[in-house]
Amino acid sequence: MDFYLGLLQIIGVHTLLGLSAYVVLLTGQVSMAQAGFYAIGAYVAAMCTAMFGFHILPAILVAGLVTAFVACIVGFPALRVKGLMLVVATLAFGEMVRMFFFNFTWRIERGGELVGPNGAEGFRAIRFFPENGWETGDVTVFIWCVVAVIMAVLWWVDNSRAGAVLRAVGHDETAAQSIGLNLTAIKVGAMTAGGMIAGMGGGIYAHTVTHIEHLVFGVLLATFAIAYPILGGLGSVFGTVIAVVFIQGFLVEGLRFMGEWRSILFGALIVLAMNFRPTGLLGERMPRLFKPRPSESKLEPKGAE
Amino acid sequence: MMLTLDNLSKHFGGVRAVDDVSLALKEGEIFGLIGPNGSGKSTTVNLITGLYTPTSGTVSLNGRDLTAMPQHARTSQGVARTFQNIRLFGNLTVAQNLWVAQNGHEQRRQHFVSRWFRPGGEHSGDIEELLTFSRLASKRDVLASNLSFGEMRRLEMARALASNPRVLLLDEPAAGASLDDAELLAERIRAVRDRGVTVLLIEHMMELVMGITDRIAVLNFGRKIAEGTPAQVQDHPEVRAAYLGGGHDEKMEKASA
Amino acid sequence: MDYFFFIDLIQSTVDGLLFGTTYALIGIGFTLIFGVMRKLNLAYGAAALAGTYIGLVMFLTFDAHPAIVFLASAIGSGLIGLVVYLCCFRFTPENYPMASLLASVGMLLFIDEVVIHASHGLPYPYPSVFRDAIIEIGDVWVRGDLLFVFFMCVVAMGILFWLLYRTPLGLATRAVSQQPRAAQLCGIDVTRVNMMTFGIAGVLGGIAGAMTAAAVGVLSPVIAMGLTVKGLIVVVIGGLGFIPGAIIAGLLVGAAENIFLLLRGVTERDIYVMLLLFIFLTLRPGGLFGNAQSRD
Repeated sequence: MDFYLGLLQIIGVHTLLGLSAYVVLLTGQVSMAQAGFYAIGAYVAAMCTAMFGFHILPAILVAGLVTAFVACIVGFPALRVKGLMLVVATLAFGEMVRMFFFNFTWRIERGGELVGPNGAEGFRAIRFFPENGWETGDVTVFIWCVVAVIMAVLWWVDNSRAGAVLRAVGHDETAAQSIGLNLTAIKVGAMTAGGMIAGMGGGIYAHTVTHIEHLVFGVLLATFAIAYPILGGLGSVFGTVIAVVFIQGFLVEGLRFMGEWRSILFGALIVLAMNFRPTGLLGERMPRLFKPRPSESKLEPKGAE
Repeated sequence: MMLTLDNLSKHFGGVRAVDDVSLALKEGEIFGLIGPNGSGKSTTVNLITGLYTPTSGTVSLNGRDLTAMPQHARTSQGVARTFQNIRLFGNLTVAQNLWVAQNGHEQRRQHFVSRWFRPGGEHSGDIEELLTFSRLASKRDVLASNLSFGEMRRLEMARALASNPRVLLLDEPAAGASLDDAELLAERIRAVRDRGVTVLLIEHMMELVMGITDRIAVLNFGRKIAEGTPAQVQDHPEVRAAYLGGGHDEKMEKASA
Repeated sequence: MDYFFFIDLIQSTVDGLLFGTTYALIGIGFTLIFGVMRKLNLAYGAAALAGTYIGLVMFLTFDAHPAIVFLASAIGSGLIGLVVYLCCFRFTPENYPMASLLASVGMLLFIDEVVIHASHGLPYPYPSVFRDAIIEIGDVWVRGDLLFVFFMCVVAMGILFWLLYRTPLGLATRAVSQQPRAAQLCGIDVTRVNMMTFGIAGVLGGIAGAMTAAAVGVLSPVIAMGLTVKGLIVVVIGGLGFIPGAIIAGLLVGAAENIFLLLRGVTERDIYVMLLLFIFLTLRPGGLFGNAQSRD
């Protein structure tokens, strides 16, 4: 039972990671920086609880806000970089973050021992959950409450004008500008929102594993981050969730019997998916939440072209 | 004056795409801008919308200087344009294409949350009206990429109207259209004018231009070479020369004088 | 700044410039593929590495002469490059570039894992030539093996230029890179050109991989990520789609990397290289030479 709860936890935090990439991807920006934001959120939240005694909830919020701030700053130079080069830039940023934490050491005395990030060794003893009597089940419920809230918000955005605007910018920036949309505000805004979600996800992740280190937040995680929304389809948030469930649940755990060959299969499956269903499992069409009013086409004059 | 261009110039390195052009559009008129290929018509449109910054000169709308304003701000001032090679949002439906374009002055004054996050806004009355006006009501939920060419053209214009502009810049709307299509287009442009929109029409199809415009300006090599009513412009010798290549004869005359 | 530090600086620069030619080759490979297809092949570094391993097999099983090993590496990478093309770029939609991008990432993971499994994650010795030869210029020592690497890479570049500018295939390639639709209308088989481009880029990558391993003397799977990242940095600085830019940027990155190593040590070196990349991206996204081409 604990095994399945643990799996649900992993799916939960990875969903947040995927959703952070989803928001940014809608505007046409392919960002490999989400793993870097995830890392920042992880370290910040862990420092808040383990070093400064915060409760988990404010710790995650702080992590989200700090990461949002960093993402906002990254968002501006990202504007100058078009298309595929953005992939390179964000990849570089992600690696910079990882290497920063590889070198980052800051430990303070707390309860008779030294706690804090310790360079290459990572950050140990992130023990908020066990120290406060949170069982595996409690943690899982907590994670999915957060995921549910964020998914609801994003679903709402998707079905409002903001969602259509994000997608318009992603489709044709020149046309979007010509109809009065402020590209800078929209793209940086998306990057900031994505950063916040990734930061919160990372913050939660740090507490589920109690020990984080730089290696986890590398190119592979960055790849997972964009793979989820692309594989799931940019049409709706549910595509991303389904992709996470599929990849983490089925591939990573379900194929555990295949042992070391899982990773090989993972790569091959991505290649196959992109050839047979390039727009993702759920496709790229936005869902329509509200049924249209009865058609008024009876009023249309005859002889329409 | 509704839209004024004062000594507007745009140089790309050594190329003078637009060279000291001045225009003044009156409110409610349909103003034509013609000239041979490469004469600077599209560049002029891009200068008005803000895609390009002028090398010198100004663009003003109703007395307000737009020259320093970024593109997206000009929409709320009342400038809208269509693109010669249609640039619709193919991943959105017809109604959504109009929805995202509601960035006009009055629309911006709506409350932020309401404007951006109220669900179901794509079914508003304004959008319905515009769809009916453009004869696209039955296609409201069709993806823009699935429309026929004629429908795309109508949507391109409808989207430009969605922000309730004061001035509409039409960039070669009749490109690739037959004469019959052009007649329907002419009707639509007159209907747009009747809604209270001033129209700047860039076109090559002379039948269309001469038929519906109140006044015309002619560009050649970036400079304005003539301005007046359709009749005046048609008889203008320099205009004929520009289109029919009479410049050669003029040079010969001067040489033998 | 004393004399020995100055000598160290020159030594680092020289070593870096010589080794930088491998980065230049990888950069050329990336930029070639981008120039012709307007797409980024993120599996490129991994493909180059895998080909180098094929050369390693020659070395281990047949104790082949280094020349054969290098050749096998080059050809192996070329073939794998073709496979990458077929799997990731041939059938993915033109108007949805994220599909081919993600596919190439999937391919990167796939190849990386296959290589790790086949080699059990262990490093293997790779043949190196002129290891002990040193040319002394004053107090600066020019390593023979680095000189060989430099020489091989320059020869590869020369052959590439000959291909691009003196053969019909090269002409077709340049046509497709400028105007693919028009090229097709002129009767050029764009698919074949794309395939050949991937193959040629693959060969270049294989040479780069072989030379990298030869310079270090050891072949291990971690080289793949390093090659990929360095290659991308080179391409950004040199300008996507601009081959001379890739060459100069490759030398620049090679020298800079070594100088950072001298000044700040191994752990911080990579951060500074990344920083260099980031600065370039924000201040000069078009690369050193500000190249921007548009096409249909």
